[in-house]
Amino acid sequence: MLRDKIEKHLLSVQKPSRYIGGEAGSIVKDASNIDVRFAFCFPDTYDIGMSHLGMKILYSLINERENYWCERVFAPAEDFENIMRENDIPLYGLESLEAITNFDFIGFTMQYELSYTNVLNMLDLANIPIFASERGNKLGQIVCAGGPCVCNPEPLADFFDLFILGEGEEVNLELMDLYNEHKKAGSTRDEFLRAAARIEGVYVPKFYTFKYKEDGTILQLDVEDGVPKTVRKRIIKDFDNVYYPDNFVVPFTEIVHDRASVEVLRGCIRGCRFCQAGFIYRPFREKTADTIAEQTRALCENTGYDEVSLASLSTSDHSEIGDMLTKLLDYTEGNRINMSLPSLRVDNFSEELLEKIKRVRKSGLTFAAEAGTQRLRNVINKNVSEEELMNTCRIAFEGGYSSVKLYFMMGLPTETDEDIIGIADLAQRVVDLYYSIENRPKGRGVQVSISTATFVPKPFTPFEFEPQDTREEIERKQKLLVDSIKTKKIRASWHDPDVSLLEAVLAKGDRRLCRVIYTAWKKGCKFDSWGEYYRFDKWLEAFDECGVSTGFYANRRFEYDEILPWDHLDYYVSKEFFIRENKTARSAQTTPNCRLKCSACGVTKCIGGKCFDKT
Amino acid sequence: MIRLRAVFEKKGRARYISHLDLNRCIQRIFRRSGLPIWYTEGFNPHPYFSFALALSLGFESCCEVLDFNLNEDMPLDEVRSRLNAVMPDGMSIASVAPQNKKITAIEKAEYVVELSSEAPDKLADAFGALMASEKILIEKKTKKGIKLVDLKPSVELISTERAGDAFRITLMLPAGTQTNFNPTLLLEALKNSSETEFEMVKIVRTRILCENNEFFS
Repeated sequence: MLRDKIEKHLLSVQKPSRYIGGEAGSIVKDASNIDVRFAFCFPDTYDIGMSHLGMKILYSLINERENYWCERVFAPAEDFENIMRENDIPLYGLESLEAITNFDFIGFTMQYELSYTNVLNMLDLANIPIFASERGNKLGQIVCAGGPCVCNPEPLADFFDLFILGEGEEVNLELMDLYNEHKKAGSTRDEFLRAAARIEGVYVPKFYTFKYKEDGTILQLDVEDGVPKTVRKRIIKDFDNVYYPDNFVVPFTEIVHDRASVEVLRGCIRGCRFCQAGFIYRPFREKTADTIAEQTRALCENTGYDEVSLASLSTSDHSEIGDMLTKLLDYTEGNRINMSLPSLRVDNFSEELLEKIKRVRKSGLTFAAEAGTQRLRNVINKNVSEEELMNTCRIAFEGGYSSVKLYFMMGLPTETDEDIIGIADLAQRVVDLYYSIENRPKGRGVQVSISTATFVPKPFTPFEFEPQDTREEIERKQKLLVDSIKTKKIRASWHDPDVSLLEAVLAKGDRRLCRVIYTAWKKGCKFDSWGEYYRFDKWLEAFDECGVSTGFYANRRFEYDEILPWDHLDYYVSKEFFIRENKTARSAQTTPNCRLKCSACGVTKCIGGKCFDKT
Repeated sequence: MIRLRAVFEKKGRARYISHLDLNRCIQRIFRRSGLPIWYTEGFNPHPYFSFALALSLGFESCCEVLDFNLNEDMPLDEVRSRLNAVMPDGMSIASVAPQNKKITAIEKAEYVVELSSEAPDKLADAFGALMASEKILIEKKTKKGIKLVDLKPSVELISTERAGDAFRITLMLPAGTQTNFNPTLLLEALKNSSETEFEMVKIVRTRILCENNEFFS
């Protein structure tokens, strides 16, 4: 039995409980009663993957169906991977402890570009052919993917049989039902994939062929008959009533987000022009305060967690935030549960809200200012003024906080040296503010941390056309920032620009990237998001060998009239809107948030009405 | 405040829960059970749990001891069944009773060690020879560094058993707040003393005992 083989080696690896399942809340079924088996694969280790909310939702949703069984699969850490390879242990599901090789669906969630090589590694560990074209015409196992990265799935197109665009709560089951029918009817793989391609939200890349111009840009996309010319993402219309699990798998080992998590809203009204999540998850929908309170209670009772966090892109944009917090705090405080509230915005951070937050958390405050000057904040549509930021810091300092973390991006479109120096100046004014406050925390100095990420242009944003700064330029700007800081009370840190370059290439790449990813994996690249594993030299070799230029994707301006690798995918927000927003950005003009004024992004066509009554 | 003591099993998949993780796991089990668990009254109130002995990662046990307190008196059977309803795979509560002896009363623990070998006869002979030797010296890691200790006076062999390629040893070793010997030390000594290769299949803690071989309860 595979289980014996696994157990024989578990005591020689780090944190063995990651590889054996059996956690409270995990769902074990009798395989002989199951029609369709789904391996939900997260292309990173257990500690990271188990924190992912989407997996928890879809895992429980599929397992609600008696004749379907969803199991969890993660990338093994290196020590266990070596043991697996030495001892012929195939990648297996944590519930059945059976190899996933013969499961019906091998479904990956693609959350970040730097996990792409892990997909190949996991398929290899599962003894499943890496390329979709090598999987024959027997129905067999369907390798599929969803998640934010599949809004441009082309760099992964050769490895997957199909992609699921948008929200999975409905389409996943539709797809499994279809598979079940075809399995019973003895269909071929091709028959199933053709039928699947007609489900809204399902993209089967092999029916779509790209032709390129001599200059490397896309000439045209040929689409086979019988499949849609454009594939639309799926959305859940009635968000307040959408399925939400009342239980999670509770891990034994500590994971990154080891707590109950309740999704309070989906989508974002803000329209920050660099933010992909802000556009691909539109429209804005929220759960009622009562639903949120009820789901919080159920999850805490069933999991035994004593901490709950509210998940969303911007929790303070919830229309009933005050009411919601009052209801939640009544429950959590009465039951010794801690509540954490990530994703708060600076501008609507009222004194009353801070009072409530102070009751729930003691850690530091973080603000995403994103840019150092008002001009650049206008360009990126981060509608936060310095006054609002200072005001919030004042409230926080008066409330006893003495450290603040500020997030910025570097290499934003239209950025000048003045904007970089502006980051240091802004941090300095926060330091000065602290010392100007009479009732600041006694006997404590202030600590302002500046964290800068390199701007990565992403598909389905107004900046999808923009080039990324070259590595040399980013390094020059980083030095400029450090030279502009005059006090030890300000600390600066940043991301590795080589990592951001690869992110940009993979985010904006086309189907020619598949070869590069395969070559890099063959050279040993995996866990690219882990600093200690990232091998930029190997990646550069892979690009070189495949004759693909990083600059073509990362550092080139994509023209408005160019066919983009993701133009045949419809996330409801229109390309015209992105072009309009890109032009507005270049003139440093802002666009009001969706609640104030509808900017006609195109998403209303999916709900057949306005997003907000008043606009 | 009602002081209670649970005896629980930790087997199968649950044997990979480390001692540190077990604490968190138990906290969540109690929260799920909805039992009126008593919290400490300090600056940072937390539920009070105390394990009589730590169990090494990978060991199974049918006699782990957990002390906890409840705010209300309630039928012990109900406490047990409410906990068992929310246990992870491999863990279950055998009994819940008032705390009788103090944890410091623990002197010994009994283990069943199962080994497998391609030459089980030779292994049995090698083990017999080891137990017959005058001293069983082994390096033991302590807080102060590595120390050479003689296991001989501490090992109490109960029985050995052969079945197919399995070789099973039942033995008692000192346990408790003073001295603790891990049965893997003896396996190390066996490995050092003989060329017969073997694999450790499993180790199960089967009993926790006090003076005069009385059960700890």
